[in-house]
Amino acid sequence: MAQVQARFFTKNKRYSVDDIPFSIPASSQTQDLSNVINKLLESKKDDHQHVEFDFLIREQFLRMSLGKHIETENISTEDVLEIEYIEKSIAPQPEECMMHDDWVSAVDATADWILSGSYDKTARIWTSEGKAVMTIGGHLDVVKDVAWVQRDGSTSLLLLSASMDQTAVLWEWNSEKRKVKALHCCRGHSGSVESIAVDSSRTKFCSGSWDRMLKVWSAVPSEEEDVAEEVSSSRSKKQKTEQCGLTRTPLMTLSGHNEAVSSVLWSDTQEVCSASWDHTIKVWDVETGSLKSTLTGSKVFNCISYSPLCRRLASGSVDRHIRLWDTRSKDGSLVQLSLTSHTGWVTAVKWSPTHPQQLVSGSLDNVVKLWDTRSCKAPLYDMSAHDDKVLCVDWTEQGLLLSGGADNKLYAFRYLSPPSDDGA
Amino acid sequence: MMNFDLSVPHVLFLIFWCSMHDSELAEKMSKKGKNSSRSAKLKRPITDTQAEEDEKFACFSEETSHVDEDSDLSDSEESVFSGLEDSGSDSDEESFPELKLELDSGEGSSREDEPDGSSGGEGEKVKKDLKKSKKKLQPKSQTLSLKKVANEEKEGENGNLEPHSKTAQQPISVPKDEYEQDTSDEEDIRNTVGNIPMEWYKDYPHIGYDLNGKKIFKPIRNKDELDEFLDKMESPDYWRTVHDKVIGSDIKLTDEQVQLVHRLQKGQFGDVNFNQYEPAVDFFTHETMIHPVTNRPEDKRSFIPSLIEKEKVSKLVHAIKMGWIKPRRPKETAPQYYDLWAKEDSSAILGRHKMHVPAPKMKLPGHEESYNPPPEYLFSEEEKLAWEQQEPEERKLKFIPQKFSSLRTVPGFSRFIQDRFERCLDLYLCPRQRKMRVNVDPEDLIPKLPKPKDLQPFPTTLSLVYRGHTNLVRCISMSPSGQWLASGCDDCTVKLWEVSTARCLKTIKVEGAVKSIAWNPNPAFSLLAFSVEQSVILLNPFLGDKIVSNATDLLISSYVEPEEEKSQSVKWVSSEGEEFNQGFRITIRHPKHVKQVTWHGKGDYFASVLLDNGNMQVLIHQLSKRRSQCPFNKAKGLVQCVSFHPLRPFFFVATQRYVRVYNLIKQELTKKLVASCKWISSMDIHPGGDNIICGSYDSKLTWFDLDLSTKPYKVLRHHKKALRGVAFHKHYPLFASSSDDGSIIVCHGMVYNDLLQNPLIVPVKVLKGHEITRDLGVLDVLFHPTQPWVFSSGADSTIRLYT
Repeated sequence: MAQVQARFFTKNKRYSVDDIPFSIPASSQTQDLSNVINKLLESKKDDHQHVEFDFLIREQFLRMSLGKHIETENISTEDVLEIEYIEKSIAPQPEECMMHDDWVSAVDATADWILSGSYDKTARIWTSEGKAVMTIGGHLDVVKDVAWVQRDGSTSLLLLSASMDQTAVLWEWNSEKRKVKALHCCRGHSGSVESIAVDSSRTKFCSGSWDRMLKVWSAVPSEEEDVAEEVSSSRSKKQKTEQCGLTRTPLMTLSGHNEAVSSVLWSDTQEVCSASWDHTIKVWDVETGSLKSTLTGSKVFNCISYSPLCRRLASGSVDRHIRLWDTRSKDGSLVQLSLTSHTGWVTAVKWSPTHPQQLVSGSLDNVVKLWDTRSCKAPLYDMSAHDDKVLCVDWTEQGLLLSGGADNKLYAFRYLSPPSDDGA
Repeated sequence: MMNFDLSVPHVLFLIFWCSMHDSELAEKMSKKGKNSSRSAKLKRPITDTQAEEDEKFACFSEETSHVDEDSDLSDSEESVFSGLEDSGSDSDEESFPELKLELDSGEGSSREDEPDGSSGGEGEKVKKDLKKSKKKLQPKSQTLSLKKVANEEKEGENGNLEPHSKTAQQPISVPKDEYEQDTSDEEDIRNTVGNIPMEWYKDYPHIGYDLNGKKIFKPIRNKDELDEFLDKMESPDYWRTVHDKVIGSDIKLTDEQVQLVHRLQKGQFGDVNFNQYEPAVDFFTHETMIHPVTNRPEDKRSFIPSLIEKEKVSKLVHAIKMGWIKPRRPKETAPQYYDLWAKEDSSAILGRHKMHVPAPKMKLPGHEESYNPPPEYLFSEEEKLAWEQQEPEERKLKFIPQKFSSLRTVPGFSRFIQDRFERCLDLYLCPRQRKMRVNVDPEDLIPKLPKPKDLQPFPTTLSLVYRGHTNLVRCISMSPSGQWLASGCDDCTVKLWEVSTARCLKTIKVEGAVKSIAWNPNPAFSLLAFSVEQSVILLNPFLGDKIVSNATDLLISSYVEPEEEKSQSVKWVSSEGEEFNQGFRITIRHPKHVKQVTWHGKGDYFASVLLDNGNMQVLIHQLSKRRSQCPFNKAKGLVQCVSFHPLRPFFFVATQRYVRVYNLIKQELTKKLVASCKWISSMDIHPGGDNIICGSYDSKLTWFDLDLSTKPYKVLRHHKKALRGVAFHKHYPLFASSSDDGSIIVCHGMVYNDLLQNPLIVPVKVLKGHEITRDLGVLDVLFHPTQPWVFSSGADSTIRLYT
């Protein structure tokens, strides 16, 4: 098989070529194909600038020679091969490195601000350019997760931080005055709060903890303090209360996990997904407080991420695989896809907010990987900037990839994902 | 023949000669007759018996003569016979000569021309007479002889036979009465009453009737006892006198009769002259004679088809026609062969053949053994030399081939005896039976164990390395929740780690190397016990639930000293000040270095092991009452480690070679397990409580099933160096052992609820990663309480997590 009959097509009108089958040497790589397309385009338009293309055969990225790909994918060579080409995404460009005093445990970024949590018991606010704005201290223990409640708009923003001291604190931050104020201290968990997630209406948030519970809280600031259930009035507790604002109690407690809850997220307005160390992902109905479905895996789940674009759930677990789940499948542990390339626990995974097929993952093997689900064997890009374990990743709509790790650094990468096929 | 005198024996001889056709015998007989006395009277009985005997021999010819009297041959014979008888029957000797003359001529003619049968008319007449008389005489003499015997045996009384014999001759002397001939030969002619009991006549004067119908009267005077006696005394013939009941008179036996009786009594033959051992005469000899035995022509019936046969045949034919008789199935001529061993099990035959060792066969002689072998078989000089230099056993040929010009020149085989002897030895010493060799595939002997792949989950890869220590990490312990890990190190620190990120959260400095560390297994407590030199320190790590930590603090601080101070071998000291802020709560000072500290499952009791070989090696402490006690008065060896039973009040104490199980409630020794190793280093109890694993310094891991035996159920020798730590998983059927060879071996150790099923032990994974430092490898091993993860602490100052 020296020659392959192929026809090229693209959804991007700018780069469309004539619909003619070509005979292409089987040994040709992506680069060769890209040159072919460029030649074709040059012959069409005189003012054509050289563009690198990436090629998809039956929704799978071409990552080796054409012949080999056909062989491994068992594609018949009798027919004319349909090859789609898209503009190749440019590798993520490192932008900033934000130094912390301790391990960076969590990151959440909006268009303007980056919020990070650290093992030095503080949360930090950075500008999207990487300038330190604010350090929020107040937690008595390691901050395990952070989240913006209000993502944009007004000068006073609400943000959340969850900590190992079993609380989550709702802060109000005035970006003008550069002042932060603890509004509410959410008490109720009896273990470290591992993960928090704010719902799409920005009025509620959910927290998952080591005590196996999920709790749903109101994210709306109020002047009243919920009556603390516990009467124990130790000295340290008083202090804490004074520091962290008014005590708030959960709206709802969801219990059902047998082990620590490692990650929570809102998959819908009234739907919460939680990943746990008991090898399950559970989907909860927040309205009724009932368990909707359970996805059972075989290993501890460290993190999950949900993409409303492709309606899929990505989970990172300790067996180094990223698995894609369909939450709508009832009680089935339907793994749609496994992305395997990491060599350590996958600690963080995040879908692209703009692209339905791309996600980023961080692992204990110090590498952040950018994936495209159309290429499950190998990631699109490896970002091995970290010197130590990667603990958190984030991806903003503006194309900023953020990863924090045990090397006390929060790296920012600029990645312009190509406009998704649907948009083109 | 002509020389013979004309005497009775001669006549007898003639009879014999005629009837027997045997001249030799006749001659013998005649000689005998010659020698015997001349008295015819004496001879009579003998002749009679002789005649009787002869007649038996001659019965064939006589019968034929009876059948058809017309036959000439028989006639001539008859004539001779009858003439003789007649003369014999005549009691007077004087009549003999004339008769003889007559007979002589007749005899001679009959002898010479037997077939002719020619005889004179006179002779014919005599013949007839003679025949008749003979016929009468013969039975009579027969009855007489029979009677004689009967008399001898039956009747003890004396009877005179003399009259009897006389009477017997009476009828013969009256040949005229023709009717006499018709009377039964058997009848007693002296008395005609027949064979009846004679008592019937006892009342009559007579005893019967004679032939003429006249009464036979009893003797007038019956002999009475006296007469009898007188007779006995006086009569010389009394002994030979016999009473004849039939005629009612006494008979005096003659000498011959007495002799005969004697002979019969002796069991001898009645006739003196009879030779019972005479040679047998083969009448119908096997040799084919030229003449037929008889001259009789074939019967007519031999030539006529038999009517009866015809009838039978026609019946058969009819039956065949009707199908009543089936024709006989033609006999199968083809021989039927069948496989004798067809039904036999082929494997049995094979087995038999396999077992059979045939006797060693001799090599067939080859060309070299020929007397005139082809020249290439003859030895050259070098070959001969080589042959001579070889050991006799090594020689290929036992002899040197030789060439002879002819077979004649071949000398005798000098090695014959030796050769035969060796052959006999070969046969005698050859194995008669093949040795049974068990062909076992070694693979089959290995027990079928499930594949490790099927026994997942178990830790397989190194996931996290907890770095921070600077010296040997001797001991590790997990918090009951599984979130935290505590480690004690020789760098005088205790570190608390977050399991999921390998983050060291706290470091607590102590005064010495930490030998043992144990997290309180009760989730309601937040306490960590560790041993530093001579003390056991209880520390509140302030990790996990704040409420629990505070409650623990509260519990410890709420302790009120009892009024009366009990003297204890250890000292409980509450921590204060800076130490308290660090988390130290209680320090228990021991007299000696503390080697191990372990908690009871409920979290109130804990035990410590002292390093010294004194009596006080094990102490059990109660946290709530701050009391310590030494449960064992006497040391039973160097205690290595102790452990509480997870469920029941048992206490396990491992010394160098034994594991003793004590019942804490009954305060007695329950079991003593014999570890087949030299020095136990570590021990762990299965969460079910019925199985124990022990690691030893001689690189063995022993598994005890308490229900099974006090001996190890299994001994695993997977490690190359001393074992330092062993651990069971709390939920998964896993156990792990760490060794100085730097590896951790994870085994699947399934304990079944079914008591009949032995635990299944399958080694599943060897985990490597620790570097061997100062000849020490992995010092402690520990499972995560909920996940199939294993932690190990090594001499390379790291703690590793395998998942």
